[in-house]
Amino acid sequence: MVPLLLGTALLIFLAGHYAPGDPVQVLLADHYTPSAAAHLRHELGLDRPLAAQFAAYVAHAARFDFGVSYINPDRRVADIVRQTLPISLRLAALAVAAAAVCGIALGVCAAVFRRSLADRLIQLGVLAGLSVPSFVVAAGLVLLFALRWRLLPVAGWGHPADYALPVAALAAAPVAYITRISRASVRQVLTEDYVRTARSKGLPAGGILARHVMRNAALPIVTTIGLAFGYAITGAFVVEVIFNIPGMARVAVDAILQRDYSVIQTAVLVYTAICTLVNLAVDLSYAALNPRIRY
Amino acid sequence: MPPSIPVSATDAAAGPRAGTAPRPPVFLRWVRRDWPAAAAAGFLAVLIVLALGAPWIAPYGYDRQDLDRALQGPGPQHWLGTDQYGRDLLSRLLHGARISLTVGFSAVAAESVLGVAWGTVAGYYGGAVDAALMRVVDLLIAFPSLLLAVLVTGIFGPSLVNIVLALTMTAWPAMARTIRSEVVALRERDYVEAARALGARPGRLLLRHVVPNAVHLLAARATLDVSALVLTEATLSFIGIGVQPPRPSWGLMINEAFQFLQSHPYLVIVPATALSLTVIAFNVLGESLAERLDPRQRRRG
Repeated sequence: MVPLLLGTALLIFLAGHYAPGDPVQVLLADHYTPSAAAHLRHELGLDRPLAAQFAAYVAHAARFDFGVSYINPDRRVADIVRQTLPISLRLAALAVAAAAVCGIALGVCAAVFRRSLADRLIQLGVLAGLSVPSFVVAAGLVLLFALRWRLLPVAGWGHPADYALPVAALAAAPVAYITRISRASVRQVLTEDYVRTARSKGLPAGGILARHVMRNAALPIVTTIGLAFGYAITGAFVVEVIFNIPGMARVAVDAILQRDYSVIQTAVLVYTAICTLVNLAVDLSYAALNPRIRY
Repeated sequence: MPPSIPVSATDAAAGPRAGTAPRPPVFLRWVRRDWPAAAAAGFLAVLIVLALGAPWIAPYGYDRQDLDRALQGPGPQHWLGTDQYGRDLLSRLLHGARISLTVGFSAVAAESVLGVAWGTVAGYYGGAVDAALMRVVDLLIAFPSLLLAVLVTGIFGPSLVNIVLALTMTAWPAMARTIRSEVVALRERDYVEAARALGARPGRLLLRHVVPNAVHLLAARATLDVSALVLTEATLSFIGIGVQPPRPSWGLMINEAFQFLQSHPYLVIVPATALSLTVIAFNVLGESLAERLDPRQRRRG
């Protein structure tokens, strides 16, 4: 994980260095004069050799010191992350939890009653969930629940009621995805011999499902939930902007639009770390769920 | 969530119906057997024609403003009405299709070339080459595609070329993986062995004997990828780091209309419907192709 983060840091550092757009020019805006620019460049350390800049950057980043925002020099990037990341993580966690519950329930239902009307409707919903973009889902939800029926707030963050629409918009695609995988996985296990044996022993259907089927179908579903977390984290790029949620993704988008270098760099590192950790957690859960896998 | 994963539609392909007297033409049989895919293909054909012909079909220019006629509903002069700058919604929709599809198809073309080359080399040579090449793929696949796309356009700035670059980045690793798994199997085939025994050079061997036999996977995968990439482009444009105004893109149109959601919801509903239908159509078609072109390929998971 450390080499990956170092590599990412180097890539983003070089990319940021060669990318179009001069932060000094942005910072000074109307006050731009060559001497002021040179002074600020020196203050920000941008006039030192590239390797020295990178070494200093890594040394600071290792202590969670990411410098100050180029656009708002009175704000430290580490503080911004500390304030906004928990909001994004909570949003993603809620969305994934909702998606996991709904997705597994729908997927098991579709697998058990396969070829039924319910199965067909669920399949149709899965197609829609995977195809309709999250901002369209969000627009529909806002239009109906916030504007037409006035049941929920249009945007904001803080009140529990504020969570409902963003979480629903963010969970739509993961629900479809988890449903699909659960259905396929459960259907596969339902054809196994040991399920037929359990049935012929006369065990109740619910018991078979819980004890024999779900435990064996769990592996792909857990993987998918792990993936869904990654997608929920990035889906926030859209949802946080629409619902005006002060999370990390919104900060990242704003930074990109304003070319706020230090914040973009940090956001990339943070998201890389999150993705790596999620993948690690998924791998570890394999071992927990399937004793045949050893690391 | 990538919509590139085929959505399960039909579980068993209808077997050949033997013995039915005069068989209808191939096309009609296809329509009857797999009508969702046929409908999707028809919709996309019409869409592509409209997109290609947008500059001639569209009644107005996409950036022609007429502030006196802003925010009008559908009428005889503007069939779908006008937006907040009095721009004709139908014209912008058609030009938006042109841009979204151009970006989507360009990225899929680039991604296919890169993915096929990477996957073929990795799968054919195996060993350390394979391990090294696939390590890169594993690394990239671990990232959600929207994150990669946002980062690439975020770093290099939004321009049409950079958007295509970003979309290519998100899609090629999966293509490389798909192609590699097929090439690993093809490598051991007798005819490849025979060609090698005859002294065919690696380049000729790969291009004439290996790649053509993996192309069926490419067709299905690429169709599904168009849907994923059109969706990602729309998302980037919606966030504001994709296609830049005044150029229309469906995602950007939804973004610009979002503030009028309460007073003029059709400004959002029209591009959102076009976008959703297009993505669904590519998904349905890609799924059908995947099943038809390679019955062995079971869906992931």
